[in-house]
Amino acid sequence: MWKWIQRQASPKVFYGTCSRLTPWFFWPFISLLLVGLYWSLVVSPADYQQGDGYRIIFIHVPSAILSMMIYAIMAIAGGIGLIWQIKMAEVVAKVSAPIGAAFTIIALTSGAVWGKPMWGAWWVWDARLTSELILLFLYLAYMSLNSAFDNPRTAAKSSSILAIVGLINLPIIHYSVKWWNTLHQGYSVGTGGLKDPDMQIALAIMFLASIFLYALLVSIKARTEVLIREQNSRWVKEEVSGVVL
Amino acid sequence: MTMVEYFSFLPYGKYAFYVWLAYGISALTVITLFINAKRNHKRTILSLKNKFSINQ
Repeated sequence: MWKWIQRQASPKVFYGTCSRLTPWFFWPFISLLLVGLYWSLVVSPADYQQGDGYRIIFIHVPSAILSMMIYAIMAIAGGIGLIWQIKMAEVVAKVSAPIGAAFTIIALTSGAVWGKPMWGAWWVWDARLTSELILLFLYLAYMSLNSAFDNPRTAAKSSSILAIVGLINLPIIHYSVKWWNTLHQGYSVGTGGLKDPDMQIALAIMFLASIFLYALLVSIKARTEVLIREQNSRWVKEEVSGVVL
Repeated sequence: MTMVEYFSFLPYGKYAFYVWLAYGISALTVITLFINAKRNHKRTILSLKNKFSINQ
């Protein structure tokens, strides 16, 4: 296992692994998504307080968790790139940023659409919402800093430092509903916020589907990035000429 | 007639507008991400193919 991970540091091996894994991420994602949507929209009962309006939770919570998880992965991969000079870790960090930003946007917009019927406002400057918005700005800052350099190694170095410093925001987002008196409701997962087993199953399946979606997008985007970075090597030439479009 | 009333014929009645809006925005974002990733990959391969055929 450890040997296998070490071998992924080679661009050619990593490219091959991503190609092979893509269908293994795509089909589980599609099947989990279909089952998850069915469980969220049909099987799960209406909530006793929020009626059917609560169903937004099944996209809001997974995307919010993913937005933070991807940030952590991005910062850790960036750190691995900085410390051990592994270029493929830099690739994973770079391609994760737009995916994480998209999950943050989904979390923020689905939250706004949920807030309107429940709180009467699309947006409030509550601690949870504000810290999640800062997460979006961190992703955007990372992406613009990364694209500001011509040399991908220099870009990875400076943007990884930004990502690692930004890690401080993750516990702030997580504990914001505890530390401050927020309009945002408390934890739904692990503390008995969601009590109905069907609701819990639906949320778990949607969360798994989101993880596969992230892995799928990384496996596609990382390949593109490896091709661009390694375009002067022989294996890329062979790989590209072998592809029939 | 407000949007909320207009869409109340859909499942989830008075919440239909909000629930389907949230699911719609998310679906759109995910589909855009996926198509974009696929298209970028294809374009990169095409431009590299061009580059290599010119150099030969």
